[in-house]
Amino acid sequence: MSEKIMIIDDEKIVGDMARISLEEDGYEVETFLTAAPALERLKEAPFDVVVTDLKMKGIDGLEVLRAVREMSPKTKVIMITAFANLDVAIEAIKGDVFDFFPKPVRIKELKESIRKALAQNGGQNGEQPGK
Amino acid sequence: MRIERKIVFSNLINLVLIVAIGSFAISYLNSISEQATFLSIADSLNASFLEMRLSEKNYFLFNDNTALKSIQDRISQTQDQMNSVRDDIVRVIGQDGYNELQNRLNSYSAAVSQAGATDARDPQTEETIREAGRQLKDSSDAITGQERQHIEHNITRSKELLLLAIGAVFVSALVVSRSISGKIIGPIRQIERLAKSISAGNFKKIEAPIPRDEFGPVIEAINSMSEELEEREEEIIQSKKLASMGVLVAGVAHELNNPVNNISMVAQAYDELYDKLTPQQRREFMQKVDRETGRIKKIVDNLLDYGKPKEPNPREVGINSVIGKSMQLVQNTLNISKIETTLDLAEGLPELFVDDNQIQQVLINLILNAAQAMEEGGRLTVKSSLDRERGMVDITVADTGKGIPAEYLPYIFDPFFSVKEEGGTGLGLSVSFGIIKSHGGNIRVDSKAGIGTTFTVELPVPEEKGTT
Repeated sequence: MSEKIMIIDDEKIVGDMARISLEEDGYEVETFLTAAPALERLKEAPFDVVVTDLKMKGIDGLEVLRAVREMSPKTKVIMITAFANLDVAIEAIKGDVFDFFPKPVRIKELKESIRKALAQNGGQNGEQPGK
Repeated sequence: MRIERKIVFSNLINLVLIVAIGSFAISYLNSISEQATFLSIADSLNASFLEMRLSEKNYFLFNDNTALKSIQDRISQTQDQMNSVRDDIVRVIGQDGYNELQNRLNSYSAAVSQAGATDARDPQTEETIREAGRQLKDSSDAITGQERQHIEHNITRSKELLLLAIGAVFVSALVVSRSISGKIIGPIRQIERLAKSISAGNFKKIEAPIPRDEFGPVIEAINSMSEELEEREEEIIQSKKLASMGVLVAGVAHELNNPVNNISMVAQAYDELYDKLTPQQRREFMQKVDRETGRIKKIVDNLLDYGKPKEPNPREVGINSVIGKSMQLVQNTLNISKIETTLDLAEGLPELFVDDNQIQQVLINLILNAAQAMEEGGRLTVKSSLDRERGMVDITVADTGKGIPAEYLPYIFDPFFSVKEEGGTGLGLSVSFGIIKSHGGNIRVDSKAGIGTTFTVELPVPEEKGTT
């Protein structure tokens, strides 16, 4: 069973591109444009990593981070954002965010971060990813 | 002619009029007093004649020759009296009249002498005396009667003249004061109207021909002030626009990050997976890139458009689309400030005849103010609605911020007044006020400390659109 990755970003292209690249690497990927249905989905199924945009309509990235910490403490959260602001970064770190990427995101760096996150989890959902 | 000269001139005319009338009145009064003097002379003559006739009657009744003597005495007294006031009598009844009176006196005297010459009663002589006496008395009565008439006539004329004079002075004063007050009040009203329209941000000029009186230079000065203000206002609008652009650019820069990131991610995926992508997928990838560059272009165009100085250029626009464009420019700034937005736009609003660029500037200014009032986040509500009765479209921009203290509310549209702790130029609302007023609209504020502030912009619906 491959690792499950959730991507939440109101920019559809972000989810699409991250998914096509991550699926190529053998991950199972689900994408959401808003946080509310994503959090619903998290109640049904465990995910290894959640990649979320910070600024979104309705529930924002920091709230996603808090909700995930509560629901599924083992799941790693990686945050991406169109603007970096120290206050937000501090809050994210306090909320135990795994990594923090300003846009534009380098996909390779994101994948590297996901690999590290999964390694920390000790391959909870199976073996190391690989082609 | 200058108003000052007009006033002096009209006063002179009135003075001349009053002097002329006064002189006439004095000369009439003089002649009345002369006539009164003469009347007393005439009365005394008349009294003498009456006494002569009484003595005459005594003579006839008692055949008393002393009566004749007393008549003769009276005649000679009267003759002296007549000689002494001869000029006055001639003036009133003429030389002929005087001669006739003298002749009658002479005839009477002759008849009386004749009767005294003999003791015998001669009816013929008696009759001559009676006739001469009667004629003498008639002449004298005629003289006093005539003189009374003259006096009455002169008094009537004086009355008429005085009434006429009062009327003339009244009319002249009325005409002069009307024409002078017209010269003063007309321009003052014009200046008042212009001042009102200038304070409403509508820089008109007084178009009527410049009068050559004292108001000429005043009106010219006001016109050039209005012109100057109009030029300055455009400068202020432009500088205010550029100032708010600073705030906008910070937000827009973040907004640009999204399409840039999208393009970057598509390119990275394209590069990484090139061999595995089908030709159809490759085409789709490039289409995504194209769409995202389109997005960037639109954002940049909006900014450029906003920054450009523009002549006011009203045209028919849907106000909701102006609101939409304004929201696009500020959306990211609102997002950064953790502000939720609610748009409540009425459907089927009539198109307005406005300069959309300027209205957009007003809305952006109001929205950015709202954002600054909600540093801790909050809710921004932008609403549009139609007030059919008043023929206005209302746009409200409401925030849930800290509110404006009541004591500041009367001043917030004044130039250089700012309630912001730092960085407020104090021009934003003043410029907005000017823009809305020049559109024939109105801008109101309602604020409660700790609850929030609502600005309402009212813009008139063009008449031909009606409110149907």
